[in-house]
Amino acid sequence: MSVSVETAAVSAPRRRVRPPKLVVQHKKAIAIFIAPFAVLFALFYLVPIGYAVYQSLLVIQRDGTFGQAREVFGGFAQYVQVFQNGPFWQSVGRVLLFGAVQVPVMLGLALLFALLLDSPILRGKRFFRLAFFVPYAVPGVIAAIMWGFLYSPNLSPFTAVTQNIDFLSADLVLWAIANVVTWVFVGYNMLIIYSSLLSIPTEIYEAARLDGAGQMRIAWSIKIPLVMPAIVLTAIFSIIGTLQLLAEPQVFRTFSSAVSSTFTPNLTVYTTSAIPNVNLAAAFSVVLALATFILSFGFLKFTQRKDDK
Amino acid sequence: MNLKRTAVAAAVLSAVVLSGCSSTTGSEGSDAAACTPADGKVELSFTSWIPGIEDAVDVWNKANPDIQVAVQTGPNGNSGTYQNFFNQLKAGNAPDLGQIEYDALPNFRVQNGLMDLGACEDVMASKDKFVDWTWGQVSLGESDSVYAIPQDSGPMAMFYRADLFEQNGIAIPTTWDEYKEAAKKVRATGSYITNFSQGDINQFAGFVWQAGGSWFQNDGTDWTVDLTDDASKKVADYWQELIDEDLVSTVPAWTTEWDNAYNTGAAWTWNSAVWGANSIASGAPDTAGKWSVAQAPQWKSGDKAAGNWGGSSTAVFTGSEHPYEAAKFALWLNTSEEALTMLNESANIYPATKDGLNLPILKQGVEFYGNQPIYDVFADASAEVAEDFAWGPTMTQTYNDVSDGFKSAVSGDGTLFDALKKGQSATVDALKAQSIPVKE
Repeated sequence: MSVSVETAAVSAPRRRVRPPKLVVQHKKAIAIFIAPFAVLFALFYLVPIGYAVYQSLLVIQRDGTFGQAREVFGGFAQYVQVFQNGPFWQSVGRVLLFGAVQVPVMLGLALLFALLLDSPILRGKRFFRLAFFVPYAVPGVIAAIMWGFLYSPNLSPFTAVTQNIDFLSADLVLWAIANVVTWVFVGYNMLIIYSSLLSIPTEIYEAARLDGAGQMRIAWSIKIPLVMPAIVLTAIFSIIGTLQLLAEPQVFRTFSSAVSSTFTPNLTVYTTSAIPNVNLAAAFSVVLALATFILSFGFLKFTQRKDDK
Repeated sequence: MNLKRTAVAAAVLSAVVLSGCSSTTGSEGSDAAACTPADGKVELSFTSWIPGIEDAVDVWNKANPDIQVAVQTGPNGNSGTYQNFFNQLKAGNAPDLGQIEYDALPNFRVQNGLMDLGACEDVMASKDKFVDWTWGQVSLGESDSVYAIPQDSGPMAMFYRADLFEQNGIAIPTTWDEYKEAAKKVRATGSYITNFSQGDINQFAGFVWQAGGSWFQNDGTDWTVDLTDDASKKVADYWQELIDEDLVSTVPAWTTEWDNAYNTGAAWTWNSAVWGANSIASGAPDTAGKWSVAQAPQWKSGDKAAGNWGGSSTAVFTGSEHPYEAAKFALWLNTSEEALTMLNESANIYPATKDGLNLPILKQGVEFYGNQPIYDVFADASAEVAEDFAWGPTMTQTYNDVSDGFKSAVSGDGTLFDALKKGQSATVDALKAQSIPVKE
């Protein structure tokens, strides 16, 4: 990376009276400081992505059943498979529906809790702050197993409810999973929003109070607009997290008949790579990554445009 | 801009670099490898998931200072170890030996992951030591080749709650028709005769195996996929009826809920393999002494047909530099009385050798089963397992697709046979996607 920068500098026109020596030195220093990051970034981020893209462009050929398998360049053959794969797009639709409901509910709760923690009315703030955050300390898999027991028709401590309402049935399992995800992540998002609330200068509140605003008005007209960037940030994290759902459905698969091997896009990728059909799995991953990228940046652009108005 | 461009350049560069070192998957796998002893000391790596296998390997290591085996344990095959094997084979760092169930062998064979041990004289000479059908499972139908050493087998029989059948005056079913009649009587008491597992497609395959079906054939060039033959349809329709009439429960198997059903007497029988003896004992400890084992229900009265569920082998992976030593160890592990006794004690491994079926330890009564010598039932079943049932080259995918369909069926969406039809077309597609020739 630094090479291209230097050659560009060297080949700069020499006619200049004052060579930009100072700038070049800075660039070297920058390169040195960035190098550790750049190396790790390249090794563990760019190379795997490059490898996945490369793999997704290959197809397998073999001579007869037991002939040597060869990976040859197949262009976009795997991508054609991806776009023709019904279960994959069903799983994408499923997580989009999941996100459209779960993300607003979760962020609404997180905002509400953050505002409550920030309001002068509430007592025992330190306790509640910790209490809301504790579920985030429970690993996702453990949380899913625990909730699985709570939902179980015969083993749940609430069998009176679970024997009448099957939370693990095809109709409800998606929302049962949404509940687990919400339970785990509300506290985390609340903390991000809450720390943003803490950074609002108290003079603003003072001014608002002098103008006669009550707590509700302050929350609605001052706090929420000022923490909007934090809410946007948590929304983007949540969109990414939703599209990448894996652990919870994977755990629920063992005890619910309604969770198939292609329930979420990531589960489809996992199932495909177990065939093993790594090339198709790579193509799925690339498409999923692009979709995530488009959705989160689309959301960011959408909210920024609103700010500009 | 500049940063973006360099990032793209780096990505392209990495792709180019990587393409240099990964042009083929696996290495020479199809030719029979030379099988000659190495000079000096040899170290072998071995991955397995059998509990207590380390102890058997320790015994080997003490007796064979020149062939030292390092054993590594992982999760059950389909729970992650196969995925690791495939990744390791692709990366070229697979262990010398690995545990592979029979149903996964064709998959590894097609991926060129298995060393053909046909050149190892010791191995070929041991053919007659093994129960005939287990050799068919590891030779994949080829006469001069063998791709793994059979380790254990899973002949199927019927585990049943002897006490409950007796108390309620219900006769022990010997045919599937009687089984259905018994199911109605059991249901009248409020319990279920058994639980239909929508996730254990290999159990269902065992039923089809018993009924005389065969899901896959390979004639040397083309694969035939036949998940919807008459036997499969018969079995699927039978269980569909039981599900429709609410005569069997459909709790997902291997969950606490499922254990609980057996532990509390909510389910009375389990049509399972010999290794299931251990599963009941650990999953339903409160029912000790109340279980018995009988021959599996038959489609035709007086028959003795048996299916098989599970069983695994010890394979040598391509890339191993010491196939001779690896095969020698695998033979000892799976044929010596010493090792087989240890593996039976630690993990209920039921040997694949003819002599192994007569181990003293397998002749004793088992306390959990009211001191019935249950292994006699399984030894009889083992002799009746059909030899020509074959597995497909993308079994993980087939299982997943059929299981997805079975899950819908027990939720009331479609039937078990619909699921088999879906599994059939998905399997054909999966084979084509990997350029594996398939007849339609």
